[in-house]
Amino acid sequence: MWAFDAIGTRWRIDAPEPIDTAAVRAVIDDFDRIWSRFRDDSVVARLRTERTVDLGSDAPAILGLYERLDDLTDGAVSPAVGASLEQLGYDAQYTLTARGEAIPAFRWRTARRDGSVVTVDQPVVVDIGAVGKGFLAQRVAELVGDPVTVDASGDIVHRGAHPLRVALEHPRDPELAVGIVELAPGMAICASAINRRTWGDGWHHVLDARTGEPTRDVLATWVVAPDAALADGLATALFFVEPERVLDEFPEVGCAVVDATMRIRAARMTGEIFR
Amino acid sequence: MPRRTARTALYAATAASTALLAAACGPQTEQVESAPSSPSGSAESDSASEAPASFTAGEYEATGSYQTPGGTQSVDVEVTLEADGTITDVEVDGNAEGGNSEQFQKKFESGIDAQVEGRKITELSIDKVSGSSLTSGGFNDAIAQIIDDAQA
Repeated sequence: MWAFDAIGTRWRIDAPEPIDTAAVRAVIDDFDRIWSRFRDDSVVARLRTERTVDLGSDAPAILGLYERLDDLTDGAVSPAVGASLEQLGYDAQYTLTARGEAIPAFRWRTARRDGSVVTVDQPVVVDIGAVGKGFLAQRVAELVGDPVTVDASGDIVHRGAHPLRVALEHPRDPELAVGIVELAPGMAICASAINRRTWGDGWHHVLDARTGEPTRDVLATWVVAPDAALADGLATALFFVEPERVLDEFPEVGCAVVDATMRIRAARMTGEIFR
Repeated sequence: MPRRTARTALYAATAASTALLAAACGPQTEQVESAPSSPSGSAESDSASEAPASFTAGEYEATGSYQTPGGTQSVDVEVTLEADGTITDVEVDGNAEGGNSEQFQKKFESGIDAQVEGRKITELSIDKVSGSSLTSGGFNDAIAQIIDDAQA
């Protein structure tokens, strides 16, 4: 087992073979250097001032997934949501004080992407929070090699020999679980919940990019998928679209959603829901 | 090479940790997830700049704590450690009481639509928590404390 902190979260890797910790660190550092919204010197930060930026070899996968999420949620999930987050105070300094009214994100559909190269017609603050951690967890798992379990604070890539029993944390009480998922080898589970990282007037980090306002109706979501980036992104999408639609369009995933009335909807997962 | 040995022990602790979680939930659970074959291999990936160290065999205890909105929670962990870093026995106390051994495996392929009925995480037989890592953080802290204590 190796536990460490990176990209603002706690990581834990379980593997029977020695882990090349330097290689894992290098992958995470590279990722941070390109994608971090909290670094002035990140590559993605150039889109604040430059019209055309090459975002590197991961960009097609990450931005391609975002384009699917944009379609699925009619623009609610967007990699351009960074300016909306900063407007509400979720910035590099963690000021957590709103600068004014919520502002909609730049409409990502109007950006042009050619492979890894993105061209925009105005300054854009990119934030890939909806898929970044899952993407990186998947990348780390692939680097370490099977068998391995990578846990990036609840976003889990499981490539062990046996199913992993994962509790779904109750969004209003972290001492409670709302169910258990049996995560099969080769699958990932990602969660998105608005009970953490809250500030101000009930604000949190899941914003509707179309308005720049925090969502209110859904409290927590989980997605099980063969790929953690997809699971992570769909967990955010479930704040904006019905689970039936997600399940229709992504036959390889299962999901669970808890809304503000503490109603839970879950499908296509193995385990137990407490009800 | 304190680091190297520490990681060896952490590695040995991995097997114990899953056993720990299983132990925490009563005798009927079968949740030992990973079973590393030998702790010796994990040192290979470490750099040569680290100096060697060894463990003092014996019993160690540590308490890991973590914050929840309900206050500070804790878990007590006791392990028996060999000089080579192998954990030969492990006990968990605190939130481990009242183990829920009645775990059901059900597929909910067709879908569930219901009101949530929360259950205590500490009474479940689980390997991980998704949504937060508070509990596993406390657990990791306890293990880290044990490693520190054990280094001669």
